[in-house]
Amino acid sequence: MPSSASSESAGFTRTTAAAATRRGPGLSLLASELRVLFGRRRTWALLLALAAIPVLIAVAVRISSAVPAGRGPAFLDRITQNGLFVAFTAMLVSVPLFLPLTVGVVAGDTIAGEANLGTLRYLLVAPTGRVRLLLVKYAAALAFCLAAPLTVGLAGAAIGAALFPVGPVTLLSGDVIEPPQAFLRILLIAAYLAISLAGLSAVGLFLSTLTVVPVGAMAATVVVSVVSQVLDQLPQLEWLHPWLFSHYWLGFGDLLRQPVLWDSLVHNAWLQAGYVAVFGALAYGRFVTKDVLS
Amino acid sequence: MGSNDGDKSAMNRSSNHRTSHGIRDRGVKHVIQRPWLRWVPAVAVPAVIAGGVLAGTLPARAGDPLPEKTPAEVIALLASHKTHTFSGTIEQTSELGLPELPAAPPTSGPASADGVASLLEFLTGGHTARVFFDGPGKARIQVVDRLAERDIIRNNKDVWFYSSKDNSAAHLTLPDFARDLPLTDPGQTVPGQPDPSRAGPPALGPGGTGKTPVPHTPGELAEKFLAMADSTTAITVGPEVETAGRRAYNLLLEPRTERTLMGQVAVAVDAETGLPLSVKVTARGAAGPAFSAGFSSLSLETPDEALFDFAPPPGSTVEELQSSHPATKPPVSGLPGSPGTYITPDRLAKDVRGSARQYLSGSGWETVLEVPAQSGAGSSLDTLLTRSPLLAQAAVVVPGGRLISTSLLNVLLTDDGRIFAGMVPPERLQAASTAP
Repeated sequence: MPSSASSESAGFTRTTAAAATRRGPGLSLLASELRVLFGRRRTWALLLALAAIPVLIAVAVRISSAVPAGRGPAFLDRITQNGLFVAFTAMLVSVPLFLPLTVGVVAGDTIAGEANLGTLRYLLVAPTGRVRLLLVKYAAALAFCLAAPLTVGLAGAAIGAALFPVGPVTLLSGDVIEPPQAFLRILLIAAYLAISLAGLSAVGLFLSTLTVVPVGAMAATVVVSVVSQVLDQLPQLEWLHPWLFSHYWLGFGDLLRQPVLWDSLVHNAWLQAGYVAVFGALAYGRFVTKDVLS
Repeated sequence: MGSNDGDKSAMNRSSNHRTSHGIRDRGVKHVIQRPWLRWVPAVAVPAVIAGGVLAGTLPARAGDPLPEKTPAEVIALLASHKTHTFSGTIEQTSELGLPELPAAPPTSGPASADGVASLLEFLTGGHTARVFFDGPGKARIQVVDRLAERDIIRNNKDVWFYSSKDNSAAHLTLPDFARDLPLTDPGQTVPGQPDPSRAGPPALGPGGTGKTPVPHTPGELAEKFLAMADSTTAITVGPEVETAGRRAYNLLLEPRTERTLMGQVAVAVDAETGLPLSVKVTARGAAGPAFSAGFSSLSLETPDEALFDFAPPPGSTVEELQSSHPATKPPVSGLPGSPGTYITPDRLAKDVRGSARQYLSGSGWETVLEVPAQSGAGSSLDTLLTRSPLLAQAAVVVPGGRLISTSLLNVLLTDDGRIFAGMVPPERLQAASTAP
């Protein structure tokens, strides 16, 4: 792995940085963690892959004939009239698989990745504290949860503006808003998706404490998200649906109504908070009792 | 730290060992002392969440009980309510026992999907609608679907229908005399996406094209059920309930006879304003309501004026509808008005309206409706069955015909083309069909 050497040295830097601010609130540790995460080639590859989704959609629509109304994913037929719909379509398309996939990679890597590289013990030799390390790791995963949908939305708006006319956006309610407000809604949806992925990140963090093989934790996290979405489709399990962390993932459409319907955002936030609490506690229980051998 | 592996397992085995180790081995004490304590949050957090959820489902105990009211007083309160300005969210659920339809995918196929399918969707699933009312002349109903929305906006004489799925709008200008009619007449659903191929007035006829089944407001439903309450109905006031955060009298309508499927209709009447907050219909012997519609949130403030101004968005297809809104309410069919009546296709329902009134037997909740073979309704129901495999699955072959059975309504299609329907057990329909 080409990044292993740099990551290992980064681990050492972090150790010293954390030692220097042992009484600090772990902010410098977080800053260095973010630097490592967003300095990795893999993270950039993930974000670039996400940015490719709206580009592919926009180019496909551009070179093909007009999409008949009501066909394909929602909003697809609006793209030719208004480029900003590329962002909405791309965010919709990336919700079921691409976003959980990338978040699973990052969240599954948090602890297991360090353990696999052999840097975890060095991180813990410094008086960092396991709890603080866990919190910092989770915060970095959350930062990626925000960066990922933001990348899709911004890339979508950019490519849409480049290839198609941009004008007032028709909301689901039939009302029309101006492009600046529409841009605000894109950011709002990105925030909604970031919240939606917080629960999955917590699951990934917990799975990551269980193993020293990061690929295992990544795959398990992605599988969990797929299983959750499959269960959400089974009408026989209707009682379970409101408790699945993927239940409100597509609820971001409520932000495209006039007036904005905040119900699903609030429900979603509570649900994700519950998942973060449960799997955060599990990760804590596992990580602080774990024998760190690598 | 790896060397402590053995220590740790030893500690797990015996608490005596743990204590002696803890004293002897202070260096690692902070890490591995009493490891089970570290798992306490992992157990406590789900427990707290479960406790919170359970506490949330318990009915909130309000301070003073509402002043006692007789059923007549509650009905008077209901009848006298003057609340025409409010906004809120209406949740509607139907569990009539029809086969479950797969949830509509967020990106549904052709917009010209079979109207029957969405009729069934209306009968089997749950629906959410946001409603905004400002006086009798201004209203907006938003049927909230996943990543889609169907809107009806009324601003005095202008009525707009909008469907986001295919970005289509339709406009209707109401005649002057129809201005004060409620937006959605009881017993009707208004299609938001009228079918151009249909010659009839799209805004009329139960079911319409079936594309925009508008959930009824609790007010419309309450009015309908109260109209049916006669001497065969026992009306009582149950213990007070809380709906949409408001305290309400619970008006209970129960048929006195046991020969109907109808068990109970519960109408929550807002104690403060008399506004009907929810209607729950329970089948006889059932634990939960087969049908319910009620506010999940309600605000009595005046909604934003801009909500009632609608202009068709750019790029949408707009259709101008011919108004043929009746000046008076259409005659209510003798069939007890249950949501199950929408199972009939619109042609059938029109036939029923036109010709079936003299074919009623029984009275009140036991009414059995007969549609004669020559009305053609039988063949249209037959067509409906062959076109909709899901509905055909629900129809079971019984002696003398086929039966579509729901928890509130039974429909018998006899072999000679007659239709019997009623909120009665199937045996009564069969008896009626064989009666001379």
